[in-house]
Formats: sequence, C-alpha cells, structure tokens
Amino acid sequence: METRLAPPSGIWRQSWYRFRRNRAGVIGLFLVALVVLTAIVGPFFAPYDPNDHSAMMRGASNAAPGAVNLFGTDRNGYDVLSRGIYGAPTALAVGLGAMVIASIIGVLVGGVAGYVGGFTDEALMRGTEFFMVVPVFVVILAVVRLFGIMVVGTPLERIPNLNLMTIILLLGLFSWPQVARMTRAEFLRLRHAEFVEAARCIGTTPREILFRHILPNALPPLIVLVALGVGGAILAEAMVSFLGFGDPKSISWGQMLFFNYQSLKVAPWACLVPGAAIFVTVLGFNLLADGLTDAFNPRVRS
Amino acid sequence: MTPLPDAPLLDVRGLRKHYKVLKRALFGRRQARIVRAVDDISFVLQAGQTLGLVGESGCGKTTAARSILDLVRADAGEIRLDGQDVRPILAGADRAAMLGVRRRMQYVFQDPYLSLNPRWTIDEALREPLRVHAAQDQQGWKERIAALLETVGLEPRHGVRYPHEFSGGQRQRVGIARALAVGPDVVLLDEPVSSLDISVRAQILNLLAELQDRLGVAYVYISHDLSSVRFISTHVAVMYLGRIVEIGAVDEIFARPRHHYTAALISAIPPPSPGAVDKRVHLLGEVPSAIDRPTGCAFHPRCAAALPICREIDPALQPTGPNSQAACHNPA
Amino acid sequence: MRSIPVSAADPAPLLAVEGLKVHFHTRDGVVRAVDGVDFQVAAGQTLGIVGESGSGKTVSSLTLLRLAPPPAKIVAGRVMFEGEDLLTQSDKRLAEIRGRRMAMIFQNPATSLNPVLSIGSQLTEILRWHTGASAKAARERAAELLALVGISDPVARLRQYPHELSGGMKQRVGIARALLCEPSLLLADEPTTALDVTIQAQILDLLADLRQRLGMAMVLVTHDMGVVARMADRITVMYAGRVCETADAVTIFNAPQHPYTRALLESVPRVDHSYSGARRVLPSIAGRPPDLLHAPPGCRFHDRCPEATAECRQVMPREHVVAAGHTVSCLRRGSPGESAP
Repeated sequence: METRLAPPSGIWRQSWYRFRRNRAGVIGLFLVALVVLTAIVGPFFAPYDPNDHSAMMRGASNAAPGAVNLFGTDRNGYDVLSRGIYGAPTALAVGLGAMVIASIIGVLVGGVAGYVGGFTDEALMRGTEFFMVVPVFVVILAVVRLFGIMVVGTPLERIPNLNLMTIILLLGLFSWPQVARMTRAEFLRLRHAEFVEAARCIGTTPREILFRHILPNALPPLIVLVALGVGGAILAEAMVSFLGFGDPKSISWGQMLFFNYQSLKVAPWACLVPGAAIFVTVLGFNLLADGLTDAFNPRVRS
Repeated sequence: MTPLPDAPLLDVRGLRKHYKVLKRALFGRRQARIVRAVDDISFVLQAGQTLGLVGESGCGKTTAARSILDLVRADAGEIRLDGQDVRPILAGADRAAMLGVRRRMQYVFQDPYLSLNPRWTIDEALREPLRVHAAQDQQGWKERIAALLETVGLEPRHGVRYPHEFSGGQRQRVGIARALAVGPDVVLLDEPVSSLDISVRAQILNLLAELQDRLGVAYVYISHDLSSVRFISTHVAVMYLGRIVEIGAVDEIFARPRHHYTAALISAIPPPSPGAVDKRVHLLGEVPSAIDRPTGCAFHPRCAAALPICREIDPALQPTGPNSQAACHNPA
Repeated sequence: MRSIPVSAADPAPLLAVEGLKVHFHTRDGVVRAVDGVDFQVAAGQTLGIVGESGSGKTVSSLTLLRLAPPPAKIVAGRVMFEGEDLLTQSDKRLAEIRGRRMAMIFQNPATSLNPVLSIGSQLTEILRWHTGASAKAARERAAELLALVGISDPVARLRQYPHELSGGMKQRVGIARALLCEPSLLLADEPTTALDVTIQAQILDLLADLRQRLGMAMVLVTHDMGVVARMADRITVMYAGRVCETADAVTIFNAPQHPYTRALLESVPRVDHSYSGARRVLPSIAGRPPDLLHAPPGCRFHDRCPEATAECRQVMPREHVVAAGHTVSCLRRGSPGESAP
C-alpha cells in the first residue's frame, strides 16, 4: 500500500509532527518540562531555605501540611516543599550528567567498533561486555564509601558536592555499554547502507561519510536510548541515596526518602513528596522516549 | 589520463572475487570454504554501448559490478579504462587520481530509497558529487543541479524535497541524476528498475535509452529480467556461478542462444500472450551453491545436453557466431 | 445488488465477490484500498488478478479469507463462496473453511513456513486439525503430497526444517500445504515473484499441472503479464482499488478495451522482440498511480489516460458488458456513470 503523508517537509519538522500525535510522548514532554522548569525557577519561589531545619528547634518537625509549611515538615524539621524543589536540579544534574558521560564514551567506543570493524570491533565489544556484567550498585556503593573516606583531610574535601559528582561519574561509566552497543549496531547497518556506498562511489572521503552520512542517521535511536537512560540514572541515584550512600551535602529525593522512611507512619508526606517527584520525573523521561521512538519512525501509522 | 589509441572504453580482464566462509560442522572444526562469487570474468565495453549482465540470484553479477568500482575489493584482474588499469588507482592513496577515475565511472543502485540519504534533500544529494569533485565554483552548482533534474525528467523546484516525498520512479530518477552529475563515460546500473512498478519501469527504461542516445554514455546493465536487458542492451553476458557462460551481441544471443543455460533462461520467461507454444528448455534441479561448484562445466548437472566430457573439463569461451562466444562443449 | 454474469453458461460461480470495499483508517484519513470490486471464479477456473502495487489486488485476495491485516476494514460487499457469505460467517466457521475449502499460497516461501517446526509437523498439523486423521495417516498423506509437488524422497523431507530447503523447495512445500485438504479454491498471491526465472518456470508448470489433475479453481494475483498469460483462463485488471476490465485471457491480451489494460500490455518490453536499429522507446504510461488517500474524482485513471475527456474527470465509470464475458469500466467504452454515493 502506498500512502503518502502530506505534512510539513524537513526531517526534524516531520518528526515533531509525528511526535505531537503520540499522546504518551506529549505527556512525557510536559512532565519533563515541568521538572526542568521547577529546577530552573523553583528555587526562586521556594518558601524556605532548603537547609533550614530551625523547625526542629521549635519542635515543629513532622508537622502536617498546612498554611505554614504547604507540604509539611519532615522529621529533621526541613520544609518538604522547599527540599523537594531543590531536589529537581540535583535529579537533572544526575540524569543529564551521567548520560552525557555515557553518550560520549558510548558513541566513541561503539562508533569506532562499528566503523573500523574486525579485531578492533571484537576487542572493544568484549570490553563493553565486561562493563555490562559488573554489578553496578555494589561497585558504586563501595567506591562512594571508600572515596568518601580517602578524601578526608585532603584538599579534595573542599570541593562542593564531591560525592554527588562521584556518583554521576560512576553512573555514566556504567551506562555507556548500552549506548556503545546501539551505536555499533547502527554504524554496522549504515556502513553498508546503499547511500553510504553511493557516497563512496562519488569519492566522498571516509571522514565526510562518517560525519555527514553515518552519524546523523545513527542519532535518532541513540536519542531515544539516552532519554530512557536519563530516567534510569535518576532512579539509580535515588536508590544509592536511599541506601544512605548519597551525598549528604546535596539535596536529593532519594536521600529525603532515606531520612524519612522510618517516620512513614507519622509523617507520610515527607516520603510521598520526593517519591512522587521521582515517579513523575522517571515516568516523564520514559514517556518522552516512547514519543521519540514514534517521532523518528516514519512508518508509524494510526 | 591519455587514452591509448584503439583501446576500448572499458576492458575488464580476469576479474576475480572469492570469499572465504567459515563453515562449522556440529562439534567439528571450522572449515574454511571458498565461495567463488566472481571467477575470472572478462568483457569489453565500447563508448555508447550497453552490456547487459544477466543471471539468477547468486550468480555474481552484482559482485562483479561492485568490484569494478572498488565497492568490493577484487582479488585479481584488470579494469582498464581507455587502456589504463584503474584497479590500483581506486584502491590506492592518490586521491586526485582516484577522483579522476570516479568521475568517469558511476553506479546506480537497485533500491533508490536505500541509496539516497533519508536526511538530505534532493538538492543536497546532488550537491555532494559537485562538492567532492569541485567541478565548478559554488555559483554554478545551482544551475547545474537544476539542469540535472531536468535531464532526468524532474523539475528544479523538486530539489527542496526529501527522498521519502517521492515515488519510487522519481527517486530512481534522482539516483540517475546523481550518477550523471560528474559527467561519467560509464554508468553501472544495478537492477535499476526491478523495484519499480511496471508502468514506471517503462518510463525509466526510456529515460536510460534517451540519456544514452543524447550523452553517448556506456552502460553496464545488471539484471535478472531478460526482457528489459533485451530492450536496453547492445551486448549481453550471461553469468552462471561466477563465470560468464555466453557473451555477445544481444540480437545474436537472444535469437539463437548457444549455451543451454542461456536458452533455458530465455525460454523460462512466459511470453505475455496466452496460449503461446511452449518451447521451453527444461532445467533439472536448482542452482547449486557457489561453495559446492560442480566439477567440469558447472552447469552440467542441470543440463539436458551434457556429455561425459562436461563432467571432466571446464569449457572455455569459444566463438559461436560473428559476435558471440559461449563456454559449452556441446553448443545448441 | 447488481451482478454481472461471467458467462451465460455459468449461473452459480464457485466464488462471487460483489461490491467489495476495504478501507484503511489511518491517522491521515481513509485510504480506499479496495473501492467497489466485483469478480467471479467458476469451479475449476483460474482467475488472474493483475495490477500494480496499490491497485488493491492483494488486499482483495486477502479479504476473501478475512485475512487483510488492520487497519484494513471491510466496509461493504459480499464474498459468496460455495453458497455462503464469508464476510458474515463466524470466526469458527471461517477457520473451518480456511485451508480446507479455500487455501492460500504466499509470496515469500521463506517467511510463510514456521522455521522452528519440521516440514512434517507443519503439514500433518493442518491435516489432523481439519480432518481428524490419525498421526500415521496424516504423515502418509503429507508424504504423498510432497511427492505430488515434485519433491524427491518425501518421507525423509518430512523430518527436515525449512532452512534446509532451497527457495523453490520451500515454495513447493507451501503448495503441498495448501493442497492437503483438497480445497476447491486456491489463492496464490505472487507465488513466483520471489523466485528466480528458471525456478518460477518450474513452479508455474507444477501449478498448471496440479490444477488440471485436481480440478481446482485458482485466484492468481500477480503483476507479471507473462505469468498471467501462461496461467489464467480469465483476467481481472485492477487499478487504484477498482476493476478496469475483466475478460477471458485471450481477449485481454488480443483485444483489450480499457486504455489502462492496453497501456499496461504495451509498456512491457518483450524478450522475443529486437530493439536494435530502431529508436528505443517503450510506450509508457505517464505519471504514477493516484494517492488513494486523496483519490481523484471521476475515473481513477483519468489523469494518465490518453483518451480522457472532461466527463472522465467528474464521473466514476461503472462496469458494463461490452461482449459476452467481457466487462469494462470506461466511459469512453460506453460504461454508465456511477450514481452518487
């Protein structure tokens, strides 16, 4: 069946056209936009300093939501709403930071493996598999704890959020294998694509073929993968923090859960708010990825 | 490149491409087997001529064409363009010389959808050969692209569109325009109409014929469809398991095929007229794999006219007519 | 319901498709893939349905067994087969008919067989399900059919898996599978398109031979004029979801009436015709088939037709009989216009 779309031309504009038709994707984009907006302008509107736990001194910890504290206070006397807002930039920094690292390593390794092929490919892919079978959480927990001890007394100690950066780095270091495998698969497919052979026929240099033909065509599935990965990294950081291995100097939703889960019965709001925030953010990125899958697939119909 | 006097435009000699495949028997050791995809083929193409390269799937016709342009690196053989062997130039490091060869030989792919970068407009696709070969200053490109689109029956305003906005026939026109952009003397056409609808096939075949008459370009036309080969070609080479089994002027071979495989191929096409007399040359069995190439004449297990000698000795091409040769011990 | 007699001597055809409409509901609108199609097949007869991609020939044939995949939706029409309307039967009844009374051969032999089941189990399963035959009887029958379709050493083949067979062999197994329950009608959708010409010739020989020996009727869907000339008794030419012309094969090839049929026949180069010397030009049809999402009003072929008049751009032609057993949908051949829907 030959059916033709009569929509706007231009690959990106058409992708946007298809994206808009995927309800899940649009909801995802809305949720992600909400989180990003909160991260950027939220701090200006936060009712309290997130590190202000003076309420505890006043005996107002675990206060129920009300006029003074919109979402109540937690067992340490922090304002839940303010801390929730300040958790957004942390979550985004973790998600985006980890995936930027993963994308750079993954695209480089996968790209070289897929484009060069042969022994290089074999060696790089075996290396990638090594990173895939490592139990990520055990390594992250161990490294964070050991590093935390090692820096004590060194100038490194004065770097703000050092622990958080370590977590981001480690998440990035263990998330790149998926990106590498996808990049390699795309490069292998595209290396023998007819339009690449056509470019070789014309005499286009390998470098131009790589950057003008192969890379742009390999991007769409990678973007989807990275969008999913952002959600995954945020969730992973929340889990690390929830286990108490997070950065005590930064404000993270996972850590809020860690501090408050014992008072769940007394002050459920202190857990519900960060829990909901994690849920909304991860769901947003997953739905966004779903929408992007459709957007980049021109064959999607009905 | 100075053409040698009397040298043919394209002279392919002893082109060979073998693949090694690893075959592993259950619990056994890996065995390297050799697939003779293209096994010492030779042909000559003069300016303005079309050589139809025909055969069934797996006969090596596409591999042969691809190795002529170094898309697949041949193992042996010479590809002489105006008498000069260009195989080392295409494989070599001298980019200017390589571009000089590529300017003279171009390729049109089977599937025009796959052979155009989906993220580029038609203008961008046609600008690539101009940019790579720096044929003109950038100001001239726009006019050149417009002229190219008109040459292949498209309108210049179509240039801003993307490949998926075109029908199959229009995309193939773009593929042809891209090949013509550098002004080649030889164009290798790899099944250029087989992915198209019948009513569109005729349009593209007419376009190819018209371009040849107008520009004097020579074609190597690869196809399994003998009807279109008969239409477009002046000469035809029939391939079977990596070898040319019959080659010569198209009318001579279609009117009186001497190799039994050629005869079987031609007669296997049902004529578009009901109740036509069945003059079929029946073939036994199916094409063997190029790994297990039969001894002697590779065609003998399927040939009704096989002699004892056919099992022993591989026949060489022998003249069978004024303008034709066949590799057969017992020609029809 | 209007009906057009196939021929005077055939009052009750085996299969009669009447006013069939299949639409695809896509996000971009309704694609009228099949838009009012009629054809009949008499017992023992072969009907060739010819058309280009997008003509609706494949969708029409799949609809006979209600196999057209979503978003295809049968909007109107009847498929009368052996006295019952298949479009109104229950799924259970249809399952009994599929494979037993009406069987199908697919275009791609490589994907129409299940790769993880042996040839034997794929064949006997159908037989046991439809006829309740014993395992032993089913195996015997399966071997018998493999022999019938020209497969040597059939008993050994039953134990083999699809990947161990060549393309031509797989298509033979596909044919054997279709013939297991001796259907009265065989649907073949481009049965040889995926095969090499010499193998195609073998499969066409086989189908012609089987048809004669088993007295089966056949619907052969193809774009290849040579294949249809070789196989069909009657031919229906389709264009953009409508039937252009139906007649016996000799008439279609020797005295075609519809401008599209004529143009289609002329545009195919012939292997037995010399093109050297003369200027090489094939008579071709300008333009391309219409986008069925935005089907033009009037005759679907009018913008490519050399004979089109102003009327053709407005009025949709209806099928009408120009001679016994020969129907044409063309205003220039005396067809009446279709009344507004």
